[in-house]
Amino acid sequence: MGLPTILFLAFISLSSLAFSCYANGTFSALQNGLLVTSSPKAGQVLKAGEKNITVTWSFNKTFPAGTDSAYKTVKVKLCYAPISQENRPWRKTKDELNKDRTCQHKIVSRPYSPSTNTFTWTIERDIPSATYFVRAYVFDTKDKEVAYGQATDAAKKTNLFEVEAITGRHASLDIASVCFSVFAIVSLAGFFYLEKRKGKTSK
Amino acid sequence: MGDIEGSPGSSMHGVTGREPVLAFSVASPIVLTDPTAKFDLPVDSEHKAKVFKLFSFANPHMRTFHLSWISFFTCFVSTFAAAPLVPIIRDNLNLTKGDVGNAGVASVSGSIFSRLVMGAVCDLLGPRYGCAFVIMLTAPTVFCMSFVADASGYIAVRFMIGFSLATFVTCQYWMSTMFNGKIIGTVNGTAAGWGNMGGGATQLIMPLLYDLIQRFGATPFTAWRIAFFIPGWLHVIMGILVLTLGQDLPDGNLGALQKKGDVSKDKFSKVFWYAVTNYRTWIFVLLYGYSMGVELSTDNVIAEYFFDRFDLKLQTAGIIAATFGMANLLARPFGGYASDVAAQRFGMRGRLWTLWILQTLGGVFCILLGRSNSLPIAVTMMIIFSVGAQAACGATFGIIPFISRRSLGIISGMTGAGGNFGSGLTQLLFFTSSQISTAMGLTYMGIMIVACTMPVTLVHFPQWGSMFLPPSRDVVKGSEEHYYVSEWTEDEKQQGMHQGSVKFAENSRSERGRRVASAPTPPYATPNHA
Repeated sequence: MGLPTILFLAFISLSSLAFSCYANGTFSALQNGLLVTSSPKAGQVLKAGEKNITVTWSFNKTFPAGTDSAYKTVKVKLCYAPISQENRPWRKTKDELNKDRTCQHKIVSRPYSPSTNTFTWTIERDIPSATYFVRAYVFDTKDKEVAYGQATDAAKKTNLFEVEAITGRHASLDIASVCFSVFAIVSLAGFFYLEKRKGKTSK
Repeated sequence: MGDIEGSPGSSMHGVTGREPVLAFSVASPIVLTDPTAKFDLPVDSEHKAKVFKLFSFANPHMRTFHLSWISFFTCFVSTFAAAPLVPIIRDNLNLTKGDVGNAGVASVSGSIFSRLVMGAVCDLLGPRYGCAFVIMLTAPTVFCMSFVADASGYIAVRFMIGFSLATFVTCQYWMSTMFNGKIIGTVNGTAAGWGNMGGGATQLIMPLLYDLIQRFGATPFTAWRIAFFIPGWLHVIMGILVLTLGQDLPDGNLGALQKKGDVSKDKFSKVFWYAVTNYRTWIFVLLYGYSMGVELSTDNVIAEYFFDRFDLKLQTAGIIAATFGMANLLARPFGGYASDVAAQRFGMRGRLWTLWILQTLGGVFCILLGRSNSLPIAVTMMIIFSVGAQAACGATFGIIPFISRRSLGIISGMTGAGGNFGSGLTQLLFFTSSQISTAMGLTYMGIMIVACTMPVTLVHFPQWGSMFLPPSRDVVKGSEEHYYVSEWTEDEKQQGMHQGSVKFAENSRSERGRRVASAPTPPYATPNHA
């Protein structure tokens, strides 16, 4: 009763300490300290590899001056809208930031400055077809998230735009496929026919 | 025929309590070596090899072994080639979780039918053409991946590539034309295990190829398509090697096979009847669905699971997933070996217990894998799960040869199909719906494994007993001869068609374990020793 209980309680308290060391930031704890806008109009369809997105961000002046003293770096990301997260658990939104999979594509990373920042980004060719919005996270000197800003509303319903991805297919690949397939079938048929003929003539 | 006729008890010549069914060589004097044959290995009267020399490529026996298992390995590589690349493919084709799951089900469903058909094809055209036809005709389906543009195309192509797993049948059939029955268990177990390794190797190969192709400048959505050319080329290369270097029989090709009458003289309808009316067949169809079946399901989901749950790079997830499938190198033969060791002491009851223990252990560790929250623990649970499941596959085929002598081929085929069916069902139930996370899916799959392994307790052999019941004390009903000869009607016995079963019954007395020496002499006597 004595020693085992003590050991058990020690284990529990030590593990909860250990967990608190790893206590991670949540999205709901972040300040909405940035104002972010993106150039695509709501519902616009942009082709990956061809079209640009221009992102603008600045300090949200509704917050008192000095709130941004801890802001160090800004990372702007392309994030999935709820409709593109349906039936796709690998894009799920979670409050715990290091488990959150909403924003998987980095647009740009810049040091923080309170004035208006702009960046024009050509949509890369590995961006999948989906509906997106733009969000920027602000990090402090310890590389932890402290604030964010997004180009859509809190419910992620406005200002959403679509990206049309490249297919990844090429005519040269298609032709090579057909050639090798034909080769396989012809060599099989050829062998079969030749052996049948050899069998007949040797009998 | 090779027996020493006349003296009483001579039918027991060479049969000892310690004679394993799986062995590396046939030492028994019952199987005489043909001294006139000029082969690299000692052969029996049918010129089937009596020795299994693993690192030789000598024509025809060992060369056939290597052509056969490598072809089967190649088909496993292409069938599961998409699995480690799913994180890229799902973005390129805009797949939902349901699409990914359905494609996994499709990849294992095609071969249910192709394996059943392949038995007949081997009989008609021989295993060499059976293998070459499947592997060459599925090569275009692998190349088709470069055309796929949406979910339905993806599912259709994976379904068609899955047909190539019929090479399991050609592999086992071809081995049985080349190797003597006494060592066929080990040979087939090794060939099947090494072929299954392809499911693991592909998890390593495909991400590496993808990475290499990207370094040459291809974008991700093109690079994965190019990567599929490599399994496609392997199909074509193996097809050509099988056609040029392979032969159906030790003595030559199919013409000889048909003249010799090696094609089964038994009626298909009879053989089929005795297979489906034996309740043990159905228990093993279910069981194999939860050893081989879960292995196939895991091959399809495990790389994506590690990628998503633990935030690994594609290559790292591939390496971990590969260790699952590659365990087959040793795990499956180990299962067969464990079954044999148990049989030496405890006979068939030992084999049944070994199977139950291995498969249930696999199920328990599958549950633990689903519940593991840290990477090192998850990998450990996965490895133990893989050894349990794959050893159970090996142990299953340590028992299957004893269910029926007459219908062994069909029972093996049905069991194999059951494996694929179990895989399709499990993927449909637990890995297709968005309501169930993959982690929960693995846990549920583990629970289902434990539940579906329970029926092995019901498998009872009157002559050897079952897990909980001893053998029948009745001298007639408790004999091996009674069990195996009951598959023949009186008419057929008049024609002497049951002789093979009688011989088999004598040899199977080793399944009594240590009790062989004290077994009462049954009243059956073969005409040779009347």
